[in-house]
Amino acid sequence: MLTRRKFLGLTAAASAAAAVPGCSSVLPEPDVQAAGFGQDATGTVQVWCRAATQTGLTDLVKKFNASQDRLTVELTPVLDAQYVTKLATAIRGRSVPDLVDIDDINSMLFIYRDAFTDLTEPLQSLDFRDKLSPGHLRLATKDDRAFGVPYLADNSMFWFNTELCDRAEVDPDEAIKSFDNLIDAARKLRKLGDDIYAWSFPANSPGALGFVVQPMIWAADTDLIKGPVGAQSGDIVGNDVVQQMLELHRQLWVDGLVPRANFSDDASRWGSDFRAGKIGIFPSNYAVVVSSSDEAFQKKVAPKLLSGPNGGAAFFDGGDNMCIPRGAQNASGAWEFVRFALDLPQQIDLPAGGYTPVRSDAATPEFAKKFPLATLPLERISEGYAPTTLSYNLLYNQPDGPWLQMFRRAVFDGELEAAMTEAQSNFDRILAQGQA
Amino acid sequence: MSTRTEAKPRVEPSARPRAVGRRGSLTHPARTGLLLVTPAVLFVAVFVLVPLGFALVISLTNWPLIGTVEFSGVKNYTAIVSDAAFAKSVLYTLLYTVIVTGPILVLGYALAVLVRRKRRGATLLRTMFFLPFVVGLSTLSFVTVLEAQPDSGAINIVLRSLGITDGTTAWLVDGPLATGLICVLVIWGVSGLTMMLLMAGMQAIPREFYESSELDGAGWWRQEWEITIPVLRPTIAMSVIISVVGSLLAFTQFYILTRGGPGTDTTTVVQYIYNRAFVQLQLGAATALSIVLVVVVGLVTAAQFWLLREKD
Repeated sequence: MLTRRKFLGLTAAASAAAAVPGCSSVLPEPDVQAAGFGQDATGTVQVWCRAATQTGLTDLVKKFNASQDRLTVELTPVLDAQYVTKLATAIRGRSVPDLVDIDDINSMLFIYRDAFTDLTEPLQSLDFRDKLSPGHLRLATKDDRAFGVPYLADNSMFWFNTELCDRAEVDPDEAIKSFDNLIDAARKLRKLGDDIYAWSFPANSPGALGFVVQPMIWAADTDLIKGPVGAQSGDIVGNDVVQQMLELHRQLWVDGLVPRANFSDDASRWGSDFRAGKIGIFPSNYAVVVSSSDEAFQKKVAPKLLSGPNGGAAFFDGGDNMCIPRGAQNASGAWEFVRFALDLPQQIDLPAGGYTPVRSDAATPEFAKKFPLATLPLERISEGYAPTTLSYNLLYNQPDGPWLQMFRRAVFDGELEAAMTEAQSNFDRILAQGQA
Repeated sequence: MSTRTEAKPRVEPSARPRAVGRRGSLTHPARTGLLLVTPAVLFVAVFVLVPLGFALVISLTNWPLIGTVEFSGVKNYTAIVSDAAFAKSVLYTLLYTVIVTGPILVLGYALAVLVRRKRRGATLLRTMFFLPFVVGLSTLSFVTVLEAQPDSGAINIVLRSLGITDGTTAWLVDGPLATGLICVLVIWGVSGLTMMLLMAGMQAIPREFYESSELDGAGWWRQEWEITIPVLRPTIAMSVIISVVGSLLAFTQFYILTRGGPGTDTTTVVQYIYNRAFVQLQLGAATALSIVLVVVVGLVTAAQFWLLREKD
């Protein structure tokens, strides 16, 4: 007879039985050192990409599929906001794609938990290995082993409207030498007219704000996070550079050097004010400034690397890494596609889609002639950086994350010290939880 | 005259005639009952008890979406005690619940009074009042995102045209303003359901109750207070419980409108749990939080049942 005790016992047993298969999600690693790996593969390669880079990937896949008839690449775009969760769920379900084109900032989240294949040896065999973006590679490297390959770059820089700068007698090269110089330049630019602003930042878009503001801290060789992955904590309270960065933006706001609309700017129309010729200094990326503007405007802009309180230089080394998940059925075919994606003809075409190459040797004279505004990050590729952490999304990309909270409280409310103290505590908490 | 009836001989259970139900017979009352409830029991077991048991197992592990699962005992539960962010989200959710529950009930009651009688236009009014609930909070929230934009949103345009603001209010990037806006949205969107529940209850009250009270000289207020509300007590209790549970589990409107921001000013409990599960990918910790939430919601509901129970 089924008593209540037996029933509950059976329920517990069923729960435990259901739990067991899910306990281990570390999938078998493909043998990347097998003879013939990445050559003459056949069959189908399942590739996931971010929706943001879908257009470029679609063209790349078409080109690859047309280049041979042994291997067929099938592309699945995934919404950026759902990418990490969907991939994690696929790994937990032991049904993974052969290759993922992933936001490089999220690479370590999977690498740290043994979800991606060690590609150190195949990477070493590439004759352009040393030309690849070190910032991207850093985000895919653990214990000196590389688990991903850079594919495309999305970098943040200062963009100066040279026409306005000339009128205001602002020299961009002098302006970026210090925060004081930047403020002086901003004040001169603001005097050009009531509808001309010195600067613009999307203060209600945590991701975009982190993309353009953090490098101003990195340029001084410091960060908001300290320590190796697994033992990280915030580095905010007592960090003079963070304080100076917040003071700079507070000054820009208080002095009316930025549009009032920056307060609620969620980057949905990011750059429209700059492209309209109303902004002098605009921290942003190639796609926002160049891809969406006409040639006449492009002749009026000059990119400079983002700088810190006393100069220096840095840019956000965003973009995509390509990684082969453990458990991939056709890793060999996936690697063949990766090599194709990294070939110079494909890399040189990237600015047409709003991105920049990840190979410094792509900056050929021919490239510079075709995409003159895309060469700077390639010429100074070693200045690229992005923090390696397991909690980037929660810290920087979420509207309820501590990064945006600190920035807004300091800049708009003027509570700089309290904002930094609060952020320190929240960074510490989130990092500790993410590493647990 | 004696009304005493002769006592029937007591039948001991063991003496119950077994022949009534032969072994395996569908006519055996106990077996028939068991057979009839089996689908429901199976349904509850498969879709409630097993997942709940599974959730308990998960909550005792680190259970990352990626990586190896390790047993962690009650660590996830003890960590909740010192989690200041979770505590803040609990307080915010309680505040939100307190703000919206009363107005939803009062507005729902008022609307039910308006439409409970069969009179010209009543059906149209019922449809109008119930429509926001049918449309759903998700759609309403997406529309509100657009209409709350500074300068271009309808809310700001109307306020500017009335001379109340300059039309640049950024509703969704200010904690109190965003909370106020969401509360108004939810009260408008959900009170239609309360109206329907209360209206159905009101229509079931016998007309004679009111006629008798009218003969006794009771006015409208007295009738509502002495007849409608006491008779509706169970329905009101159910409406309040639905509303409170819905508020404690609020997520959709916050996720769409503010994502818990600015800062953590509008982070509800469920939003916080969502972040732990699907942003930090820590299902173990998130499940422990969920189980605590289930217990709290259960206790709050039980307390409401007790407070709003029918009294003899």
